[in-house]
Amino acid sequence: MSAIRTPLLRVNDLEVTFYVHGHAVSAVSGVSFEIMEGETLGLVGESGCGKSTTGKALMRIVEPSKGTVELEGVDITKESGKALRSARTRMQMIFQDPISSLNPRRRVKDIVAEPLDCWKSVTGVERDTLISDLLSKVGIDPSVYGNRYARQFSGGQCQRISIARSLAMRPKLLICDEMVSALDVSVQAQILNLLEDLKAEYGLTLLFIAHDLAVVKNVSDRVAVMYLGKICEIGPADTLYESPAHPYTEFLLGAALEADPDSPMHSQTLEGEPPSPMNPPSGCRFRTRCPNATQKCADEEPLPQEVAPNHLVSCHYPLTIHHKSATPITLEG
Amino acid sequence: MSDDKLLIVKDLTTTFATAGGDLPAVAGVSFDLARNETLGIVGESGSGKTVLSRTIMGLQPRVNTTVSGSSIIDGFEVVGASENEKRTIWGTEVAMVFQDPMTSLNPVMRIGKQIDEALRVRLGMNRKDAKARAIELLELVGIPSPVQRYNAYPGQLSGGMRQRVVIAIALACSPKLLMADEPTTGLDVTIQAQILNLLDELKGRLKMSVILVTHDLGVVATRTSRIAVMYAGRIVETGTTRDVFYHHRMPYTRALLESSPKVANKSHTRLVTIPGRPPNLLSLSDGCSFAPRCKYATDQCHLVRPELRPSIEPGHTFACWNPLPINAEATLP
Repeated sequence: MSAIRTPLLRVNDLEVTFYVHGHAVSAVSGVSFEIMEGETLGLVGESGCGKSTTGKALMRIVEPSKGTVELEGVDITKESGKALRSARTRMQMIFQDPISSLNPRRRVKDIVAEPLDCWKSVTGVERDTLISDLLSKVGIDPSVYGNRYARQFSGGQCQRISIARSLAMRPKLLICDEMVSALDVSVQAQILNLLEDLKAEYGLTLLFIAHDLAVVKNVSDRVAVMYLGKICEIGPADTLYESPAHPYTEFLLGAALEADPDSPMHSQTLEGEPPSPMNPPSGCRFRTRCPNATQKCADEEPLPQEVAPNHLVSCHYPLTIHHKSATPITLEG
Repeated sequence: MSDDKLLIVKDLTTTFATAGGDLPAVAGVSFDLARNETLGIVGESGSGKTVLSRTIMGLQPRVNTTVSGSSIIDGFEVVGASENEKRTIWGTEVAMVFQDPMTSLNPVMRIGKQIDEALRVRLGMNRKDAKARAIELLELVGIPSPVQRYNAYPGQLSGGMRQRVVIAIALACSPKLLMADEPTTGLDVTIQAQILNLLDELKGRLKMSVILVTHDLGVVATRTSRIAVMYAGRIVETGTTRDVFYHHRMPYTRALLESSPKVANKSHTRLVTIPGRPPNLLSLSDGCSFAPRCKYATDQCHLVRPELRPSIEPGHTFACWNPLPINAEATLP
């Protein structure tokens, strides 16, 4: 790890608005964050909080209505045509459902080669070696499986093929949208380990979007928590989980189920459901369900404030930070 | 004996006739369930947990399916009973909460009517009484303003609310045994916690036994008194929740526990994986189904299938020729 890091991706005040029967629905409303080169940022939140839309807006699969997305210093929201297409080769996305994200009637090696074919960037021989190499990297034997159709593979294998395809253009940034949520635990562990290996080998930067807090903790350096279109807390993974500063993060962590009969049962569960993004509450968006909410929360929107190094929270009454492990992280083994 | 045992399952086998041959989805499963007990059935996809739970109450497909063995619910033998006979216990003795609340409700029928249906058909209530009882049930499962919601369509409710409606339907005729097949899969963590708390509370209040079928070890860890772990259609280990989590003997149970990411892990923790994938049920060997993926497997494991045998704790059984040592507690996550 280098001491001086530059942000690979800088997202500033990103907004995405959808129109439902003429009503504006703000799916993402003013999201800002940076991802340093080589870092993994986890993005968690419940369904409908805008985490997937954020990921898609970065790729401009959905168009942001406001804000900037700078990839290596270039604002891609202003790009179009060829410049946008070439920017997209540097950022690739892996989707949730591995089976539907591959064409069942195409051969595996053609699926993986498609980005190369689109760009015609390599010769035929190079193409074949590159494909074989990529498939072996993700644990699929190209000589045995290269000519098979996508429909002949299981979910875990399809996800491996998706990973190989996303790496074909040697991207800098990989956006993983719930990439392991459809997989069984034993397969999930294989894919997560593979992702970590490839991240190291290809020097990737990751935005890891998921609803599973344990999975996110396992892969992320930093974690951002979203609620109703906004980031309510962002900070280093270990400290954020150990000592959340936003009441919503605390509830979310309390609701996560640990595979351990001795884990403490959290008596406090979050009541109710997130309000509709068509008509978000004034001020702090969490105030309607927050036990600590006051009039101030309804009147003023809380701005991000730093409660610990690199740990930002948008709350008027953040919880006290207590660091059990305030020691710098050392690498073991 | 039938006084304390609500459900006795003996050597239950469900075989599907497929184009590729006979597929033993459930093979020789035996267990029993006491009154007011909660049993968790855990396994990966394809392990037979859903088919088992459906066969127990006689809900298996009618065509190309052979069931043998016995499943006795409160003295009623389900296996071999006609549809008409089974209808006398569905709803009143045993009811099921299905996984997907989006598809298990009729989208074009008001939810109140869907609850009424059970009450009028099964209990012979008149329209007025059924409505009053339906509103009571909606209140019982924690649906706000039940009188208004009685007239809502499923599409007007969120996933969590829909699952509450499904639970209300299941509870309509006060069953003694509630089967919940992945009741919270697909729900957000905070909603999942709400639904599991609700099931817990209702179980105590209505004096039911519950079978909780899930792939998620976190769901069963704190909500069940006993667990049965399934692999390739068979129960491979069963015991009290604590015994299965802390004193498991079967390597598959260990592998399943180790491969699930934990919130308590430091970020970038390498996960333990199980090599390979679950076996094809059409071509099972005579030996242990887990043997091809097991690091302790010997020749015996590949040739002869181990039957469930007792461990030292009462009620704890496992099926393995080379079990983990008895004092395995210290090494668990």
